[in-house]
Amino acid sequence: MKVNGVYGLIAEFEEPSQVLAAAREARAAGYRRVDAYTPYLVEDLAEELGMHNTGVPVITLICGIIGGVGGYGMEYFAAAIHYPINVGGRPLHSWPAFIPITFELTVLFAALGTVIGMLILNGLPRPHHPVFETPFFEQRNQSHFYLCIEAKDPLFDRTTTQEFLLKQKPAHVWEVPA
Amino acid sequence: MSDPLPPANSEAPLRDEDEFAPGAAEWPEDLSRRRFLQIMAASFALAGGACTRLPHGEILPYIRQPELLIPGKPLYFATAMDFGGVGHGLLVRSNEGRPTKIEGNPDHPTSLGRSSVHAQAALLTLYDPARSHAAMKLGHPETWEGLLGELLPEIEKWKESAGAGVHLLTQRIASPTLVAQIQQFLKKFPKAQWHFHDAAFPRSPMPVTVHLEQARVVLSLDAELFGYGGANVPNALAFAKARRRDENISRLYAVEVTPTFTGAMADHRRALSPSALVKFAQDLVVTLRDGSKSSDNWSAALLRDLQKHKGQCVVVAGEFQPPSVHEAARQINEALGNIGKTIDYLPAEASLPPSGLPELVTAMQRGEVDTLLIFGGNPAYDSPVDLPFGEALARVPFSVHHGLYPNETAQVCRWHLPESHFLETWSDVRASDGSESIAQPLIEPLYPSKSAHELIAVLLEQVPTTGYDIIRGAWEQRHKTDNFENFWRKSVHDGVAALPMPPSAKAPEPAAAPAAKAEVESKSLELVIRPDAHVLDGRFAENAWLQELPKPLTQLTWENAALIAPQTAKANHLEHGDVVELRYRDHAIRVPVWVLPGQAEGCVTVHLGYGRTYAGPVGSGLGSNAFTLQTSDAPWGGPGAEMHKIGDGHRFSTTQSERSMEDRDPVRLVTADKPAVEVAREDLPETTETLYPKWKYTGPAWGMVIDLSACIGCSACTIACQAENNIPVVGREQVLRRREMHWIRVDRYFDGDNNAPRLLHQPVPCMHCENAPCELVCPVGATVHDHEGLNVMVYNRCVGTRYCSNNCPYKVRRFNFLKFNDDHSETLKLMRNPNVSVRMRGVMEKCTYCLQRISAARIDAEKEKRKIRDGEVIPACAQACPADAIVFGDILDPASRVAAMKKSARNYSLLGELNTRPRTTYLARMQNPNPEIG
Amino acid sequence: MPTTVQTCETLSERLSAVVLKRPTKLGWFTCIAISFTGVLMLNVAISWLLLRGVGVWGINEPVAWGFAIVNFVWWIGIGHAGTFISAILLLLHQHWRTSINRFTEAMTLFAVACAALFPLLHLGRPWVFYFLVPYPDTMRLWPQWRSPLVWDVFAVSTYFTVSLVYWYIGLVPDLATMRDRATRRWIKVIYGIGALGWRGSAKHWARYEMAYLLLAGLATPLVLSVHSVVSLDFSVAILPGWHSTIFPPYFVAGAIFSGFAMVLTLLIPFRKIYKLEDVISERHLDLASKVMLATGLMVALGYASESWMAWYSDEPNEEFLALNRMLGPYWPVWWTTMTCNVLVPQLLWWRRIRISPLPLFIISLLVNVGMWAERYMIVVVSLHRDFLPSSWGKFHGTVWDWATFAGTIGLFFTLMFLFVRLLPMIPIAELRKQTVEEGKEV
Repeated sequence: MKVNGVYGLIAEFEEPSQVLAAAREARAAGYRRVDAYTPYLVEDLAEELGMHNTGVPVITLICGIIGGVGGYGMEYFAAAIHYPINVGGRPLHSWPAFIPITFELTVLFAALGTVIGMLILNGLPRPHHPVFETPFFEQRNQSHFYLCIEAKDPLFDRTTTQEFLLKQKPAHVWEVPA
Repeated sequence: MSDPLPPANSEAPLRDEDEFAPGAAEWPEDLSRRRFLQIMAASFALAGGACTRLPHGEILPYIRQPELLIPGKPLYFATAMDFGGVGHGLLVRSNEGRPTKIEGNPDHPTSLGRSSVHAQAALLTLYDPARSHAAMKLGHPETWEGLLGELLPEIEKWKESAGAGVHLLTQRIASPTLVAQIQQFLKKFPKAQWHFHDAAFPRSPMPVTVHLEQARVVLSLDAELFGYGGANVPNALAFAKARRRDENISRLYAVEVTPTFTGAMADHRRALSPSALVKFAQDLVVTLRDGSKSSDNWSAALLRDLQKHKGQCVVVAGEFQPPSVHEAARQINEALGNIGKTIDYLPAEASLPPSGLPELVTAMQRGEVDTLLIFGGNPAYDSPVDLPFGEALARVPFSVHHGLYPNETAQVCRWHLPESHFLETWSDVRASDGSESIAQPLIEPLYPSKSAHELIAVLLEQVPTTGYDIIRGAWEQRHKTDNFENFWRKSVHDGVAALPMPPSAKAPEPAAAPAAKAEVESKSLELVIRPDAHVLDGRFAENAWLQELPKPLTQLTWENAALIAPQTAKANHLEHGDVVELRYRDHAIRVPVWVLPGQAEGCVTVHLGYGRTYAGPVGSGLGSNAFTLQTSDAPWGGPGAEMHKIGDGHRFSTTQSERSMEDRDPVRLVTADKPAVEVAREDLPETTETLYPKWKYTGPAWGMVIDLSACIGCSACTIACQAENNIPVVGREQVLRRREMHWIRVDRYFDGDNNAPRLLHQPVPCMHCENAPCELVCPVGATVHDHEGLNVMVYNRCVGTRYCSNNCPYKVRRFNFLKFNDDHSETLKLMRNPNVSVRMRGVMEKCTYCLQRISAARIDAEKEKRKIRDGEVIPACAQACPADAIVFGDILDPASRVAAMKKSARNYSLLGELNTRPRTTYLARMQNPNPEIG
Repeated sequence: MPTTVQTCETLSERLSAVVLKRPTKLGWFTCIAISFTGVLMLNVAISWLLLRGVGVWGINEPVAWGFAIVNFVWWIGIGHAGTFISAILLLLHQHWRTSINRFTEAMTLFAVACAALFPLLHLGRPWVFYFLVPYPDTMRLWPQWRSPLVWDVFAVSTYFTVSLVYWYIGLVPDLATMRDRATRRWIKVIYGIGALGWRGSAKHWARYEMAYLLLAGLATPLVLSVHSVVSLDFSVAILPGWHSTIFPPYFVAGAIFSGFAMVLTLLIPFRKIYKLEDVISERHLDLASKVMLATGLMVALGYASESWMAWYSDEPNEEFLALNRMLGPYWPVWWTTMTCNVLVPQLLWWRRIRISPLPLFIISLLVNVGMWAERYMIVVVSLHRDFLPSSWGKFHGTVWDWATFAGTIGLFFTLMFLFVRLLPMIPIAELRKQTVEEGKEV
């Protein structure tokens, strides 16, 4: 059932282990629109929340290939096809001399692809987000661990979800306004 | 006038350890350069602009009629230059009416299409903004009318007094017409007197013509056979021929004081101080006469060699040697029957007046001189120190100086009259072999100037007074032919008129040799004074090309030095770069010491032409004035000189600091024990070793061969290249920082024992390598190969990384570190070769094999639907070379001369082991040492 | 690692306080004032250079490359430590790197920025630098791919870009922390923009970590390639002293050597000033010194094999060069290099020296000097006497050479001081993780 004016319910924990457990429980309970907010990377948390593949490496690979092939292609086109000219008696297609630039462009494209890809997948930059409305989030997000069950979740129900969260022995449970 | 650059010796001592090189912050350099530009720009009064200035009167183009002038197509005119009283036949290129390049006239018997550094540099003098622009009276501009106002009354006085108190002073004169005019003047004013003074071309004790080609053994007694002067081209060519012969290769012995080109070419060279040289010459005569045993086996072997080649050898005495040496030489030639075969003695120089500068100065001091007419020259600067010309002149009421520059003499004369450059006026000259040429102008005078002919015509109150009428008139009188018009046209057109006069075979009466009995070698230092090889007695001090041209064997530019032998340096506890007070009799100069291997022991040589005060913005205040040491009785020095160290660490503006070849063999020699095959051995890697396939060329593939047996190291190639390719001059400070711009340089090495070295020369242009290292590393492809295998520079693509220069093993690339090209001076714009772009700051440049000449030939060939003929393309360097040492052409054409030379066993590539595969290769130098001498 | 008991809270508090709460001291102002005068001097030097041309420097024929290239290589070398530490040590799971990697990455960036100035300035016509960049030219002209200088353009710009991205990505979570901890609104806004709205979502963390790891994986070969390419500027040429196959490894080692020297030169004073001895502990000094010692030995091996090859190859030019370096006109350069780069680092065998700041500081300074001398030796001393004795010459830096060099040092320190004042020089988020986890381990 839909609930308006609410982004979701969020539980605040002291320990990373708690949020891990809570996440596991939530998934078990069938919640799907769940996310956690932690001061640093908590291993396995994402998996517990049902994200098994970040999707970043593929982007890196593709961009790297584009950079490499494109780089060598550019050099070959320029030196051998577009403006062929005798330079120091070397052949037009001096492949050994074309390697360094090919390599550099591979790395450059791969790196930029990785970062941009990661940001896009993360939906960043996004200066504002409802979760920031959580009371004391600003002060505590560098030391506390949050688990948020979003209102969009089909199983979301203000009372049942709240009870479920309270079962996980959080420090607090807050309602996050939309 | 301009505050002079710091003289050589006044400069603060500087060491290599000093952190900041001089002008490090560019301020001083900047100032002087800026001033240089300002003066040059400001001094151009007549805004002639780059317009056509076809001369009035009829002149005849060498190839086409001028009225058929096609814009962009150069015309060539034959003319001639008076250089030290000797005529040089020239062929001058004219672009849209502007003379832009001077070459030798191929039809001229002594030029033979070749030229000298001075012929090349004459172009810059023509356009030099520092030339005098107007008549000056007491230092203030005046008009020629103003002059007439004073002159005509004077002439009236002369008529009354029959010219009493009227004195003429001239240098050597090559123009028969001018001599005739002067004779006329003297006839008209019988009491007038004519004096001769020429510090660079003195009276020759015994004028001769040498036939080196006939000579199999040559002995030079300090004779500079290949240096500046009348016969350097014929001599160099003849010697080259005699060297290239397959058998009977000539052998050259040189006994000299200071290293000369002749000594550099010699198989056996011996350095003797002047007094020792006199003794040597006289001993030679004695031993030859009475067959007595010679003192040392060197001269013994020499004598045997001479005697073995009776009538096929020659002994030549140097211009600056005392009559006794000339007499000795003559006696030997006589004894060996050489006279008339290998050497001709010419009649004493009748054209010169008996009276010289001393007579004039005494007359002036006595107050007997009312009028002094100075035609050319600069006696106020270049007179011996014991003849106070300047002071004496104060007692001359009416003095007139006629010359190209407002020089020291112009400053002290009542009148200074601008003289026309020889490219601006009609004249005629007699060459060293007696042949005569008519010199036609190529351009209207840039400034309101007159030629000597015109001036004398005025003095003679003759009409007409235009150069054309004077010369043509004179010739019409001398050559009474029924069809003078044709004769005149042909003579002017060909650049050579009358046939050579036969030299008088008669041996001259033994010169009244003032018994200069060779005083035994005095312990004291002997002073040797010589004109500078480039600025001579200072007359070319204002010519920046000549100033920056590295001087023979020192590679010094922009200054002079006291040259001493290493042993002498050790004996006097002196080091290279020490500044000394050089004292001779009771005069002294401060001059830096140059330790020169090959210099005779116990003597010190200083060159004239420096320390000038009114040369102009370029030439003033450089070096030290050696005239301060010159006395009229010992013009070329003598014993009794002293050196006292007063400073050290002088930084010479030289273009080559290293002397030895450092066990590398850039210059290779072919001698009896080292045959050509061995010398020219190549450690070239097998082409199979290369990772890349060879690039294919379908002719023409341009290449060059430089024959080191022929090259005399005169640097004519360097300056010809500078003229052809608009190469800028950088100035003393920049040379100090090794930023000279010459595209072809002449390296010199001292080989072997530092006390008796062999002197070697090697011209180094761009090698146009087929595997060019420079091209490989250029990030923007600003230097690449063209379809004919040239290594070309694309100036407007160059970003100036200078990587190409670093990777050039020959270091022939030149970089515009600053804005070197003067685009302020209008006259210099007229001078530039329109087919060569002027390079901007920050781009690399280098030898292009004269690309512009190649394309010109290619265009002609394509129009006529034929291949470019062998010899049709001649780079500036090859064209100027007096010894025909540089040969250029298509190396794929087996019939071409260059291909033939590359097949020679002596052919080798410089640094060939680097597999750069240079297109420019060298022929190892032939030596023909006397086996009897170790 | 932290000696006192740290919690996420205290840690975040302390490290952000360095920037947010700590009042700007007079000392900081003096430092930045001094280094900024350097920047002004740099401006003057560059203006004069552009006005007159590269001729204001001491370069000539034959030494057509001088300070510009020496400084370029020197700075690039220094710019290697950062990425090396943050990338390679990350992959090697060297956790101690965490407390210094942000700082060293910043150092890398600024060093590379200084380096990148020189290839531009040393051009005869800097205003057409873009000829080196491939772009659709109407005359169909392209860069000449066979030239190592073009490789440089790509290598250096790639290195700079990747380092910058890498450094920034590492910063994002900490910028978020700064955003949340800042009290004034406008500061919040500024840091907030930088933080891209980071909220510590677990899924974000996962992708973030993956991306960070991949970047490290990419930066590792990159950091090795950059100085290899720079070394090719020399070894591709045929000049004795340049034309050598050992250059790439030898240059990379030298780069990391000098990089770590600079790291120590900077860290030792900073940890003192900002009282971070517990975060940047003796262990860090010790380990950094060990890296220096190791790379120093590699460099020494490089020198040795160069000389040995000169003798073994029996190539006269090479032999001459080897001797000319030791005994020629520039002998002090060679001896400085050997003293500072080979002899002095041997002191690092002793642990006492490795962990005592002052001697270490002095050693690091000497190594910096030594590495500059090494590059001077390679560039100038090889050029001044090459194949033909006729073209041998000398080179002396002019005041403008020195002014430009000193100017870049000023620029470098100015940027460093701004960095430590405005950004968290210690990665907060990563340290949080470590403190908690290691806290557990204990």
